[in-house]
Amino acid sequence: MATLTAELPREDPKARVNSTLGMIFFIGSWSMAFGTLYLSFLILRDRVDIWPPEGIVLPNFALATAGTVVLLASSAAIHAAVRRGRTGAPGFASLWCAGLLLGLAFGVAQTWLWYDLLAAGGAPQSGGYQSLFFGLTWVHAAHVALALIALMWIQYGIRTGRYGPHRISTVQNTAMFWHFMDVVWVVLYLSFFVF
Amino acid sequence: MSGDHIHAEPTSFWKKHVFSVDHKVIAKQFMWFGLLWLLIGGLMAMMIRWQLANPGMPVPLLGNLLFSRTDGVIDPATYNMLFTMHGTIMIFLGLTPILIGAFGNWCIPLMIGARDMIFPLLNMLSFWTVVLGGLVGLYSMFVPLGATEAGWTGYPTLSTTVGTQGSGETLWALAVFLIGLSSIMGGINYITTIIRLRAPGMGWMDMPLTIWGMLFTAVLNVLFLPVIGSAMLLLIMDRVFGTTFFVPASIMSGASGGDPILYQHLFWIFGHPEVYILILPAWGLVSDLLSFFARKPAFGYKVTVGAMFAVTLLSAVVYGHHMFTTGLSAMLGESFMLLTMIISVPGEILFFNWLHTIWRGSLRLTSAMLFSMGVIFVFGLGGLTGLYLATISTDIFLHDTYFVVGHFHLTMAASSLFGAFAAIYFFFPKMFGRMMSERLGKIHFWTTIIPLTVVFCTMFISGYGGMPRRYYDHTSASYLAPLQHLNVITTTAAFILGAAQLIFAWNFVRSRWWGAKAPDNPWEVGTLDWTTPTPVPHYNFKEIPVVHTGPHEFSHPKLGDRDWISQTDKLPA
Repeated sequence: MATLTAELPREDPKARVNSTLGMIFFIGSWSMAFGTLYLSFLILRDRVDIWPPEGIVLPNFALATAGTVVLLASSAAIHAAVRRGRTGAPGFASLWCAGLLLGLAFGVAQTWLWYDLLAAGGAPQSGGYQSLFFGLTWVHAAHVALALIALMWIQYGIRTGRYGPHRISTVQNTAMFWHFMDVVWVVLYLSFFVF
Repeated sequence: MSGDHIHAEPTSFWKKHVFSVDHKVIAKQFMWFGLLWLLIGGLMAMMIRWQLANPGMPVPLLGNLLFSRTDGVIDPATYNMLFTMHGTIMIFLGLTPILIGAFGNWCIPLMIGARDMIFPLLNMLSFWTVVLGGLVGLYSMFVPLGATEAGWTGYPTLSTTVGTQGSGETLWALAVFLIGLSSIMGGINYITTIIRLRAPGMGWMDMPLTIWGMLFTAVLNVLFLPVIGSAMLLLIMDRVFGTTFFVPASIMSGASGGDPILYQHLFWIFGHPEVYILILPAWGLVSDLLSFFARKPAFGYKVTVGAMFAVTLLSAVVYGHHMFTTGLSAMLGESFMLLTMIISVPGEILFFNWLHTIWRGSLRLTSAMLFSMGVIFVFGLGGLTGLYLATISTDIFLHDTYFVVGHFHLTMAASSLFGAFAAIYFFFPKMFGRMMSERLGKIHFWTTIIPLTVVFCTMFISGYGGMPRRYYDHTSASYLAPLQHLNVITTTAAFILGAAQLIFAWNFVRSRWWGAKAPDNPWEVGTLDWTTPTPVPHYNFKEIPVVHTGPHEFSHPKLGDRDWISQTDKLPA
């Protein structure tokens, strides 16, 4: 394996900086997008005296917590995978795969959370709280779904030897975006379920 | 992709002219796309003006074709659609693609000495996303119940299903979302390119001011287009999934409802920077062109950069002046008022620098120079009247009158348009390899600036007289009937203004195919783009140039008989 990677053309270090910089600006931009959604949360919350409003069905705390733990674990696995991928240490592919599977598990937990709330009678049409809950988690989940496709693509690339110490910037940038999704979710979780 | 690559020139028609990743081809695509929409949006403006001067009269020439159901008369719903789509089209599909899409793409790699944008594929995606957005917007005009009637600002509850039932409004929101996405892609590309691909020797303070304008615009694009994107998503959710972000509780049966004012916050957090997104590229271009055609260095280069930076910063914290009448708390309102007024300080600095640049210069009054000076004039008029709208007490009276319409057309519409015209006259020889007719250009300038000033200054008078904007028929209110003659004056001038643009269209098309062949550097300027041969080869620069001098080294005493020097040359010792 080591001899194989040594023969592959290494990516230009300048190109690595370029794409990382591009990803940083992209995440900065998307922070504004999620920040806007969060501002809507703050303003609508500020408009009523009691939060969450009385007499409404709330989303399942245990399910959401389980999802949060799974997503944090996924981020940790991806982070560990990138560290190994950069140096060529063993475990790059398996850790990335673990991160991907944990990410998919978060998707399942999230879908379950929505259906659980719908079954209990909480619909997006029911009012401000439900609008915020469904709307914000939808937008986040749509990004998670796209990010999961990227994670799968990279998993395939690791298997075929496309990515490794010789070619890591796409992997790093995807991981960066995945951590960003994690941060957004933690903010949403804390806002809806903790504070 | 590093800066020193030469990617192979594509040979197939599709890769070369349609799905090209070459920044020069994309720039031209943006240009044609923007000009086409400018024509559509301009025709809409003519129809709006017709209705206002001749309420209920059939539109001549086009009326029977477009409004056959009503025998050529614009009915109130159609009128609402016209002014809504006019605003949306001019801002998002006309000026943005030309100023930022076309000239951003054209100028950035060529002026900083790069072979292409840093992410060429993203660049192509940016163009095709805006095309998709344009198509969605176009399609929205042909659905049952027609295009949106909620105004270009799309305020709820008018823009929710409570106010507009048809799918036109939903498609409008989707179109704005897609166009925003395109601008973000472009913005990320521009910033990264400017940071990473400047030619050796080109420090930050050696960049042409055009590049600074594009950089600040790109920063605002990247930061504030996501805000409108999110707002549009929430609006679409309200309309499609029945959420209640912008619908008050009293209308729906929820435990807690939404808030229409929330939308106004989100919209203007984006909306005010958007004004500067449109004007900063024009300022940058004009700062360069004034120096080029005055044959003098740009006065106070670093201060100009600083002033543009200050405007960029301030643009993010003044949006509340659009909302003085929504019951903003007094303290918040006064803070926004103060911050808005502070923008006039960097604004004044820019004016001072521009005037000092042309002061005692050897002016070459080309069409590009005339339009550059036109920017100073129209932005001056628009900027000064902005003070009345920044002041709460006068704004409450002038809010939603034609005073506002006159003000923002002079600042963001006319100034940006003049900047775009200046840039087109200036860059045309390099872009298309042919010269535009200077004679037609000058006729175009004078037949544009005079009626344009009449149109918008008359609006100041009618607005001050209390004429509200967006009304279908001002003669129906007895207190407005005495002001109707002002509408007639405005409309007459607007028709002359509209007709004058045909001169430009003819000049553009004629010169594109039958104009005189352009030399490599017809304007005798030193920036890197003019060191390339015409037409610019696929790889821009055979060797990446090395920069030795600033972009505006004109009339340097050491230069002897020539009054300019290329950025790649050293000043004689």
